[in-house]
Amino acid sequence: MSRVNDSNNFLSIGKSLPRKEDRRLLTGQGRYLDDIQVAGELHACFVRSPYQHALILAIDTEAAEAAPEVVAVVTGKDLAEWTTTHRMAPPIDGLLPIEMTALPADKVRFHGDPVACIVATDRYLAEDASELVEVDYEPLDPVCDMFKAMEDGAPLIEKDMGTNLISHQTFETGNILHVMESAGRVVESTFSTPRQTPLPIETRGCIAEWDEGTQHLTVHVGNQAPHPYRSALAGRLKLKETQVTVIVPDVGGGFGQKIALYREELTIAALARHLKRPVRWREDRMENLLAASHAREDFVRTRAAVDANGRITGLTLELVEDFGAYCFFPANYLARVVAVILTGPYDIGEYAFDVKVVLTNKCGNGPMRAPMAITSWVMEGTIDNIARELGLDPVQVRRLNMVADDAYPHVMATGETMEDINPGAALERGLEAIGYADFRRRQEADREHGIYRGLGICSVVESTTYGSKFYKAAGIPGSGHECAWVKVDPSGTIRASAGVMATGQGYETSFSQAVAEGLGVNPQDVDIKLGNTDIAPYGMGSRGARGGTAGGGTLYLAATGVREKALAIAAKLLGLNTAYQLTMRDGRVCRLIDDDIQETDLTLADIARTAYLDPTRLPDGMEPGLEVTRAYDPPPMTYSNSCHFCEVVVDVPTGAVEISRYVVVENCGNVLNPQIVEGQQLGAIVMGLSGSLFEQVVYDESGYNQTGLLADYLVATASDMPNIEILSVATPNRRTPIGLKGMAEGGVMGSIGAISNAVSDALSPFGAVVENHPISPSRLRLMLREKT
Amino acid sequence: MDKVAFRLNVNGMDHDVLAEPRKLLSDAIREDIGLTGTHVGCEHGVCGACTVLIDGKPQRACLVFAIQAQGQAITTIENVTGEDGGYSPLQQALHEEHGLQCGFCTPGIVVTMEAYLKENPDPSERDIRDVLSGNLCRCTGYQSIVKAVQKAARRMRGEDTEVA
Repeated sequence: MSRVNDSNNFLSIGKSLPRKEDRRLLTGQGRYLDDIQVAGELHACFVRSPYQHALILAIDTEAAEAAPEVVAVVTGKDLAEWTTTHRMAPPIDGLLPIEMTALPADKVRFHGDPVACIVATDRYLAEDASELVEVDYEPLDPVCDMFKAMEDGAPLIEKDMGTNLISHQTFETGNILHVMESAGRVVESTFSTPRQTPLPIETRGCIAEWDEGTQHLTVHVGNQAPHPYRSALAGRLKLKETQVTVIVPDVGGGFGQKIALYREELTIAALARHLKRPVRWREDRMENLLAASHAREDFVRTRAAVDANGRITGLTLELVEDFGAYCFFPANYLARVVAVILTGPYDIGEYAFDVKVVLTNKCGNGPMRAPMAITSWVMEGTIDNIARELGLDPVQVRRLNMVADDAYPHVMATGETMEDINPGAALERGLEAIGYADFRRRQEADREHGIYRGLGICSVVESTTYGSKFYKAAGIPGSGHECAWVKVDPSGTIRASAGVMATGQGYETSFSQAVAEGLGVNPQDVDIKLGNTDIAPYGMGSRGARGGTAGGGTLYLAATGVREKALAIAAKLLGLNTAYQLTMRDGRVCRLIDDDIQETDLTLADIARTAYLDPTRLPDGMEPGLEVTRAYDPPPMTYSNSCHFCEVVVDVPTGAVEISRYVVVENCGNVLNPQIVEGQQLGAIVMGLSGSLFEQVVYDESGYNQTGLLADYLVATASDMPNIEILSVATPNRRTPIGLKGMAEGGVMGSIGAISNAVSDALSPFGAVVENHPISPSRLRLMLREKT
Repeated sequence: MDKVAFRLNVNGMDHDVLAEPRKLLSDAIREDIGLTGTHVGCEHGVCGACTVLIDGKPQRACLVFAIQAQGQAITTIENVTGEDGGYSPLQQALHEEHGLQCGFCTPGIVVTMEAYLKENPDPSERDIRDVLSGNLCRCTGYQSIVKAVQKAARRMRGEDTEVA
């Protein structure tokens, strides 16, 4: 695709327009799931397992059914009649197939597994009745540690699978074994993130309405990918896809937790159909913490072969991830990306990885903002360890190993092609901003006064927009394309839609800018309609960092199509042979005469009226109407890059970490709305810092979840977080419409690495290195006690 | 549990409510009175999304039984407006500074900080961050909210009056 990506020519793109969404959200007029009321609705509540691994011998629902206002009590046996099982078996080497039912009828697999559903006229009464359900369990030995789960004779999560090692993938370049064996020095590093959870402030929930007359199911649900969700729901309920409509209202955050069709939501939909009455469910926070998707929990070891100058001649990666008990996504889906893009900006030709994913008796894993979050910490932490072991400056080791900015496109050892990035420029710009040499002097001087200052650097190469070729190569079913339409009504008003769905990213604003640019109108005049599967075209939804490039890019292309048709009509109406010298500005047709733009009397509204209501005046052979639908498949992968600099002071007596400065240099290409992009970057960085410093789902040794309250699962508050300085060295992507790249996850990747490296740098006089999160005061004190 | 009849005063209007004594104020405001701007994020008093004013003071509506709030003046996000019926200075500043993304935590933050700025017209950044630490936001990273509160405070003091 040849396209001029000169951001200087944009009229609507690249402007920080305030958000259209804000008026309703700031005044309490937003419409989230729980704000929608449906006449005659019933309320559901789930009975959850207190055991982490147990056979279900019998479920006695009689007392619950007799409780006041209870309409139905159902179990896995009932659901098995109304729904199909879900078989996760993509053709991926090293990945074993796995099945799950709507609700477990045979055994429970983690603390919080749903076993029965109560439906009553009132939520309080449904919860009362849930306490009357008697479940007869036979406890089984649980396995809650991923390494124990891989041992011979370990209890099996899925008996038929014969193992808990659900996925094992390896890769090596031709010469890696020789390089590692003959290396003068091999530096070994380990990294581990604990189990975390995405924690949107709005929990999961749904409302299902069955229309018996039309045999149609409407489901209201907060979800990032409404069409794939509809396909899954229809399939599991044995309905035609045309019998299901998914409507997504305002969503109170997703962060990866609102993509899959969850078992609770399937149960509610099946119940609405069975009872022929609307049924609603909203989980409470404890359910969200125990039983919505979890994320992370991995152990990583790298071994880097280096020469005396710190040049990396070979690298190996071992990664083990604890995936929990259920697979709503292919089990290798998250860990594999870490392994594929690990080397990032560094020129490392010889590489090998070994990635294992293990089932245990814990809540199932799913994506969480930056599913590959650990990647940059692993690579940059490895570099810092090399520098420490060899007594070199960590910046020099980075410079020595980095691919030169002018050497892109660069093909990684794994075969992935990175292009249009500049990690070298980002590093140097940040070093200048932070005053690197001066920092080292301050650090040295302060140590003499017992002040332990540290600087962490983390270069990020973020995989952003995944095209369908990436999915195909990975063996994952699905696609990375997106679909959009732009329609001009007979009155000249403009509406547009795409398959992606916002969970706070401000698409109604940024997408209106993409459409306005393509069509030649004012963004205020474009209404973006998202989240209703009967209105929006079938698209792949919001995941990763694809919303802007896939959603905004496709809308821009569709809008361009509408403009071309509108100008062809304009040429005819103006008596011109060609639309060559015509353009659209702010909804008015203009003529370009000798570099001068002259307005004509013709507006988009005039053209629309003609297109719909006076089609005999259209050019010969042209269809009436003024609308265009386009699909667009991005490149196999687009990459953004950034470099994060975190300065900390560690209080050695208490183990407290204070972030004294945070600078990030970003290259995420051209952007639709800089203020919205900055908001994404800030939010991502803080999510990474929060995870690194505070967050941990705690299971005790026997597998009971100890973090069922927000008072137990700690997240960052305003008083914990620094102000973040954002600098830019942006260059456009050459292949995407508008030169977009994406950027919503790199902040998480970068801040995890930067904070960890900063604390290790601060503690270098003690020889202590951060290898585990969260970097809590108690953990730091433990590390220091061992070292002092 | 039997329902009882009681009266709640919300945003200056009396509402007759028939509910069980155990019904939470947050649920009564949303379900019985129909004001859904007050959001429920955790139901155990940590996230701050359900914050309302009770007799002018910020309170977690999920930690109060509705029946306990009889005879007190409850104020919710729906009652926060500017003098002209549009945005308040704080809402305006949040809009300009991109101080909200998904918006779910926003009503609790607006209600909390409106009350705070009334009592503390010239807070330091540290003060603002300390007060804001009772409200969890998973989207913004807090920085833009802090900037907005600072901007609103300046405008309410009569400085920096230019509105974008």
